Amino acid sequence: MVGPNGAGKTTLLLALLGDVPYAGKIRMEAGARGRRLRMGYVPQRLAFDRGLPMTVMDFLTMGGQRRPLWLGTRRRLRGEAMELLEQVRADALADRLLGALSGGELQRVLLALALQQDPELLVLDEPSAGVDVQGGLIFCELLERLRRERGFTQLMVSHDLATVTHHATHVILINRVFVAEGPPRAVLTHDNLSAVFGLHMGLADARSMPNGQTACDCSTRPRGEP
Amino acid sequence: MLDAMCAGLGWLVPFEILQVRFMQQALLGLLLVSPMAAAMGVQVVNFRMAFFADAISHSAFAGVALGLILAVDPGWTMPLFGLGVGLAIMAMQRRSSLSSDTIIGVVFAAVMAFGLAIVSRDRGVARDLQRFLYGDILTITSQDLTALLVLFAGVAAFQVWSYNRLLYIGLSPALARAHRVKTVGYEYVFAGLLALVVMFSVWAVGVLLVTALLIVPAATARNFARSAGPMFWWALLVSVTSAVAGLVISAQDWAGTATGPTIVLCGVAWFGASQVTVRLRRRIRA
Repeated sequence: MVGPNGAGKTTLLLALLGDVPYAGKIRMEAGARGRRLRMGYVPQRLAFDRGLPMTVMDFLTMGGQRRPLWLGTRRRLRGEAMELLEQVRADALADRLLGALSGGELQRVLLALALQQDPELLVLDEPSAGVDVQGGLIFCELLERLRRERGFTQLMVSHDLATVTHHATHVILINRVFVAEGPPRAVLTHDNLSAVFGLHMGLADARSMPNGQTACDCSTRPRGEP
Repeated sequence: MLDAMCAGLGWLVPFEILQVRFMQQALLGLLLVSPMAAAMGVQVVNFRMAFFADAISHSAFAGVALGLILAVDPGWTMPLFGLGVGLAIMAMQRRSSLSSDTIIGVVFAAVMAFGLAIVSRDRGVARDLQRFLYGDILTITSQDLTALLVLFAGVAAFQVWSYNRLLYIGLSPALARAHRVKTVGYEYVFAGLLALVVMFSVWAVGVLLVTALLIVPAATARNFARSAGPMFWWALLVSVTSAVAGLVISAQDWAGTATGPTIVLCGVAWFGASQVTVRLRRRIRA
């Protein structure tokens, strides 16, 4: 999902998650076995109390068991949390305090929490904001791999048109109202972009990028993936 | 059952002053109130609800005044009024676009003015006011203790059932909601129970110091603990030891202080120690 600042991208995501009141209707297919679709959410910037003594392990086990953390955690749950952390390459962070993590580390831990939901739809709000280029790249590759392994649908808000061009299979362009949707090459056209962003964004074309390099290496991704 | 509990306490804590029945009742009351306040306080700090707790405690006057007007036992109207105020604040916060501290500020002013207006009409009540300001744990009745036992069971059950969910919500309500935690129910039950705990704590330490009973153990626990489970135990330890120490010290001849403030001072001493610990820990790591 692409659009300028204030276009309503985050608001649309929040409406999808049922977190803001809205008019109109959101139609969502039922998830597996007719249940409500399982969603995982990675917020743009988690505003939280950094003074809270909570380890990454606490963070990943508090949602999985009723038994209060002060009566200990189930070993199986700790094992599962560890596996999730390994999947997002954050296993070294398990005993660190949540408030002491860097932007990129926190992003991966949040991804682990979202994956814990075993999501059918993974919703990410500008995951590369506040993360350096290297961190963004790692995160991007990680998502590629996880999506292939687990086969979830990924809905992502992004500012970075280069990432969008190379990763998205379907692009929705909004600017307070719906503008266009479809495959990246059909949507991110010169006309659409200048209408929405007010100027031509040369980044939309990969060949115009320095060294043909993109924000994320996606040579391994099969083309024509749904 | 209360008789047995009091006798047990007298036997367990072999201080001479604790061989008197009213001191045993006071100790039992504190042993019920202090862990409840500590446990709820952990979440009060997580949710940043200190001002909310303050508003509830100050509605004690209005609750008592209401009892006088309606000729009902203030022992009933006070907690029920506090509960009503707490739930009303929660409901208004959900519906209004005003910031939560603005809403609490308005409700705070309303209940406080109402209470004082009634109290000022009646000279007889004004004398009783001191009991609310400083607390009066030494005159706690067996009826109060029975009510405390019931509330204690409720709070304990809620803490066991909801501690993890409350952590989740305290960290980020949006994230919790997205991951299928039903936040509204927890928030209302928490606010209701907190209102009741606050009202009962008014007996122990007085209107002015109730917030301290909630905040100080939780703040100290944050300093000592390095993960979310131990944080809970630290808060309990700090709260209960402060309560017992405060009661014993206040009863000594050389002290002769009111119990409530003495308890809070013991808690603050704990907090000071925790601050020093944090400093030392940093220096060792550096």
